[in-house]
Amino acid sequence: MVNPYDKYAIEASVQLKEKFGGKAVGIAMAPPHAADALREVLAMGVDEMVLLSDPKLAGSDTLATSYALSVAIKKVEQRLGSVDLVLCGIESSDSNTGHIGPEVGEWLGVPSVSYVDRILEIKDGYAVVKRLIEGGYAVMKVKLPAVFSIAGTSYQPRIPSLRDVLAARRKQIDVWNADGVGLDPSLVGLVGSPTRVVKMWRIEIRRKGKIFTDSDVDVAIEKLLNELKKDGVPLGV
Amino acid sequence: MPLDFEFTKEQEDIRLTVREFAEKYIAPKAVEFEEKQEVPKEITREMARLGLFGILFPEKYDGLGLDPITAGIVLEEIVRADITFSLAVAYLVHTSWGYVAYKYGSDEFREDIIRKAAKGDIWVGIATTEPGAGSDLVGITTTAKKDVDGYLIFGEKAYISGVREAREKGAWFELGGGHVTLAYTDKTKQHKGMSLFFVPLTDPNITIRLEKEFGRKGWSFGSFVLNNVKVPETYRIGEEGRGFYIAMEGFDHARAYIALACAVGGKRAIELAAEYAKQRRAFGEPVATFQGVQFQLADNWARLEAAHALAYKALWALKMEQEGKIGRFEVTKIAASAKLFAVQAAKAAIDDALRWFGAYGYTEENLVALALKAVKSYDWAEGSLDIMRLIVAREVLGKEYIVRRR
Repeated sequence: MVNPYDKYAIEASVQLKEKFGGKAVGIAMAPPHAADALREVLAMGVDEMVLLSDPKLAGSDTLATSYALSVAIKKVEQRLGSVDLVLCGIESSDSNTGHIGPEVGEWLGVPSVSYVDRILEIKDGYAVVKRLIEGGYAVMKVKLPAVFSIAGTSYQPRIPSLRDVLAARRKQIDVWNADGVGLDPSLVGLVGSPTRVVKMWRIEIRRKGKIFTDSDVDVAIEKLLNELKKDGVPLGV
Repeated sequence: MPLDFEFTKEQEDIRLTVREFAEKYIAPKAVEFEEKQEVPKEITREMARLGLFGILFPEKYDGLGLDPITAGIVLEEIVRADITFSLAVAYLVHTSWGYVAYKYGSDEFREDIIRKAAKGDIWVGIATTEPGAGSDLVGITTTAKKDVDGYLIFGEKAYISGVREAREKGAWFELGGGHVTLAYTDKTKQHKGMSLFFVPLTDPNITIRLEKEFGRKGWSFGSFVLNNVKVPETYRIGEEGRGFYIAMEGFDHARAYIALACAVGGKRAIELAAEYAKQRRAFGEPVATFQGVQFQLADNWARLEAAHALAYKALWALKMEQEGKIGRFEVTKIAASAKLFAVQAAKAAIDDALRWFGAYGYTEENLVALALKAVKSYDWAEGSLDIMRLIVAREVLGKEYIVRRR
């Protein structure tokens, strides 16, 4: 399946294309069997889909992945001309690091903005974006080309019509391998990944449920407040 | 052709797309369909945008040109999200009768009406039953008289689905809808004197009246009176005198989809009830641990699995008929068997599953209770169960063993 967070970025790219014209090219890095799921991206309106897939890429962490993706983006640029905007999902639904967008920006040497809720304007080589921050949002003007990772729900992913779904089946998905793209083998896969997964375990949260059964509500509330105070919860009184 | 239970990749893509839509837009509102006695208009409009009303129509007429099996896949996902069957009726009636209207309609009719039906701008219903005739169709009294450049239709149709949705323009469907309507063009010839017409319910000479439905309340159910309704000759579906036969073909389509809807709706009801039975405890254990529940579940599930397979066999038979590989009566036999079996399997399964809820099963907010009322409608709709029995018996024994009452 397509990473659900990526669908917001896909929707954003299609909406931008519908508004400004141009071309939306999707790039995914995954094992070959992912090609089937990528049909959905084409059905949503992305013009071309590239699957970067190679056993050499197995075990890549976010640094190696972002490197590989940035090289693939450059290759798209060679083929189709300048890339104005790179949109990523905010994070993956499995490891949820949220690294890829900003790291791709670093590899490409262009500005990156994470947690973009909406692209408000694109004009004269700049984009104005609304970025989610804790407790509110910030509006930023960013020089293009740039990398945005799309968060929030402003770009609700469309459900494609069955006609588009069927048409997507007939489109080709380009599969690129590491050599074809010209990746430096020392920067990808396990060799190129400084992150080491040593152990995985499940975090157990042991909650202490406490139920106050007093029939007098005031007494129960008083007990609850005392309990919270004991645990050092600031109650503002 | 090898026996194969696998779907194609295209069909799986379609299933996932419709599932995403159904889970997001239909499922959260299904209980409300019954309460409010209507389906939100955004849902039928969105179904139209997705292309769900154009599955069987050829691409030449803005449809998707897919087969009955694929149409069944779409229906499965709709039913899973809405076991009140409101949207199942909306979808399967249009799909079956729209297809028959296309198949026997003239080129002008296809250009005019079918193109709009395929886009979901026009909904297609069916109207054969009358206050005085249902299973005994020869007893209908609606007549169509030849006029200068068309027909004038008089009569009354009763217990018809979708009269309100077809009547109101710009509501559930951009242009409202119309019903494939059975009428006599020559009463003296009995069933050989019947013809079918597409009758837009938006016609000012039609008045509609709504019934208070027992179940599947989201899709309207009522009667309409045709008082001198003029339809152009191009709205006649098939030749004069062929109406009865074409209607029988349409019923085969509808019965295959109904069988599938019942099988899937029954399974969904079991799933919902099983979820509850796992959570709910009685006598210190989850209700699901009782063998009284488990044995009911297993028997019903097995019957529904059989009904499911038979329903797909009926849809496959429709496809084979389109390809000229099997005959009309064989299709009729399979479709009637499928409806006969699936409706009963679903009713029994839902009735049992409902009991696992205890008293909560007897409320209108319980989807499984709504499903029981919904499948009950198929004791009658698109051919009663006893008519299904007569058809199967006739096809197995031979026509000469059927006693004619007329």
